[in-house]
Amino acid sequence: MKKPSRTAKAASPTPPEGRSAKVKIHNLPTGVRGLDEILGGGVPEFSLNLIGGSPGCGKTTLVHQVAFANATRERPALYFTVLGEAVIKMLRYQQQFSFFDDSMVGDAVRFINLSDLVLENDLNAVLEEIIAQVTASNAGVVVVDSFRTLARKATSIAGEMEVQSLVHRLSQFLTSSEVTTFLVGEYVQEEIRDNPLFTMVDGILWLSQVTERNSVVRKLQVMKLRGQASVPGLHTVRIDNDGLQAFSRTLGLDSAKPKSSRRRRLSIGIPELDEMLGGGVIEGDSLLVAGPSGTGKSALATQFVAEGLRQGEPGIMVVFEERPEGYIQRADSFGLKLDEAENKGTLETLYLRPLDLSVDETMLAILEAIKRVGAKRVVIDSLVGFEMALAPGFRADFRESLYRMIGALTGAGITILSTVEVEDNFTSLQFSHYAISFLTDDIVRLRYVEIDGQLRKTMVVIKMRGGNHSKDIREYVITDKGVVVIHPRRTDYTKLSTGIPERTGPRKAQEDEIPPEAKAIG
Amino acid sequence: MNRATPQMRSIAKHLMVTETRRNRSATAPPAAALPVTDKLRPYLATLVGKGGVRALLARALVLATVEVAWLRAAKVNADGDLEGFDTLGANLDPAEFMEGRVVLLAQLLGLLVAFVGPSLTSRLVGEVWPDVPLKARDFGKEHRREKAK
Repeated sequence: MKKPSRTAKAASPTPPEGRSAKVKIHNLPTGVRGLDEILGGGVPEFSLNLIGGSPGCGKTTLVHQVAFANATRERPALYFTVLGEAVIKMLRYQQQFSFFDDSMVGDAVRFINLSDLVLENDLNAVLEEIIAQVTASNAGVVVVDSFRTLARKATSIAGEMEVQSLVHRLSQFLTSSEVTTFLVGEYVQEEIRDNPLFTMVDGILWLSQVTERNSVVRKLQVMKLRGQASVPGLHTVRIDNDGLQAFSRTLGLDSAKPKSSRRRRLSIGIPELDEMLGGGVIEGDSLLVAGPSGTGKSALATQFVAEGLRQGEPGIMVVFEERPEGYIQRADSFGLKLDEAENKGTLETLYLRPLDLSVDETMLAILEAIKRVGAKRVVIDSLVGFEMALAPGFRADFRESLYRMIGALTGAGITILSTVEVEDNFTSLQFSHYAISFLTDDIVRLRYVEIDGQLRKTMVVIKMRGGNHSKDIREYVITDKGVVVIHPRRTDYTKLSTGIPERTGPRKAQEDEIPPEAKAIG
Repeated sequence: MNRATPQMRSIAKHLMVTETRRNRSATAPPAAALPVTDKLRPYLATLVGKGGVRALLARALVLATVEVAWLRAAKVNADGDLEGFDTLGANLDPAEFMEGRVVLLAQLLGLLVAFVGPSLTSRLVGEVWPDVPLKARDFGKEHRREKAK
């Protein structure tokens, strides 16, 4: 894992000359990927923070990451443990994470067990011990895990005031000593209203676990953070070998640039379809290709990316249903050499299929790939597969997150082609029963049509937000060149859009027209 | 399970010899029966608390007793002190007494390695005995050898 920068950032910009300079609150990196952005730059230095939540949410791991990210021999992190998880077990488990640098233990990161002191003395003795240790070590970061256990002792003897007094004195001493403090505790949300601790601390990070069907989803909320603007809402958290990773619910996309007014027309790689679109898809548009299984959505998407590569536009293909090798093989059969682009680093195929993905981390994987290759064209094949790959608990957020991502990417000039599978019925033309069409600028609908005893394929441009488009229903086939539009607009049929067209007027005095694809024999 | 592997014994012996030699200096107080364990305990207590130290010592004693029968007469009291060693030391052959204490210390170090790993154990020992070179407290040698097989 890349080590987070130890460089503190200023939370407020430099004031203009002549105005009184406000205090700069520097931020400490958390060492948790994605969390600094959520916090608005990191943890404000010298603040007193509470990391709350139920057991198993990752509180202890989070504070370990903070400790290891900031500790130095000169300004060590002191990790005070109080009756919670046995330290020997904590060290055993935490060292499995990549951030745990055992060469820092003892010097830069020091573990101090206060359990005996808590059991044998009152809170004053505990406070004195913390003061003595901090003073002797010149600590920069202090963790008390679990503060809840410590507070319980006070509650049982003298009540609320003793806890308030302890927090007040602790806060006063630690802030004056230029220490950033993290109190860890197993709290439930109902306690927030009545527990004075929540009022006294500067920051509250709340971790929770939500179980839905067979999936468990971890969430993080910045409930309070004095001095700087954090990203509100519930953010997804994942724990893996690198410890916690946080995925901002805004995906860091708020700063996307608005679309420019003069945008190019991009070829899809199918000249007739370009014509139908009025000269190609508009750069920075989101194009939805909807159709039933086997109509060539993936083939069309492949041609779209391949054409981009021909024009020097790197691309990303995010596939959820078919394996990447299948994509490359299909492209090969169309004469499109996608593997060469992959080797050159101008194309990346992401295959995201695990069923417990969070929407935010999936989006982040896509965004990172886009940055890596500098993608101008993105294919998402398919939206149904994308939603299915997510843990059930995340599906409710899917459309909101997709909307945000598509909006931000197209805003930055990236052209997106998404596919969606729709069922054909033979009485009407649905373009997407999947209510995401509001996400798209343009819609191309593919469908099966019964003509002369054959199930043929037609396409029509349903919608084009940025300009005029052809209203023709055009027949196409899939050949060794990919999707190829054939035949001009048919004027001798009506109700083509139902899939069961009717001939208008008398049948021509000729044999049945030659079908575009050979009829099955036998 | 025997955690007093040859490597643990070697490190334990090295620490015992170092500490005993130091205690024999003119200015040092009279030699303690368990100089290494006594010196290690407060450092361990900072990390795992007195209760944690007591639990580890009791387990090490149980494991060591399998090999060294006379250790059955020793016990860990409520404060985490090992009791009975002064009397035992007076009645045993010095070499036998030394060997028993080395096994006990080796079991304790072996337990630490099992729980927190070779690296953190080495750092802890280095904190207590900064003059013991890294090579002499390399708890990962056997682990690496096993891995290489």
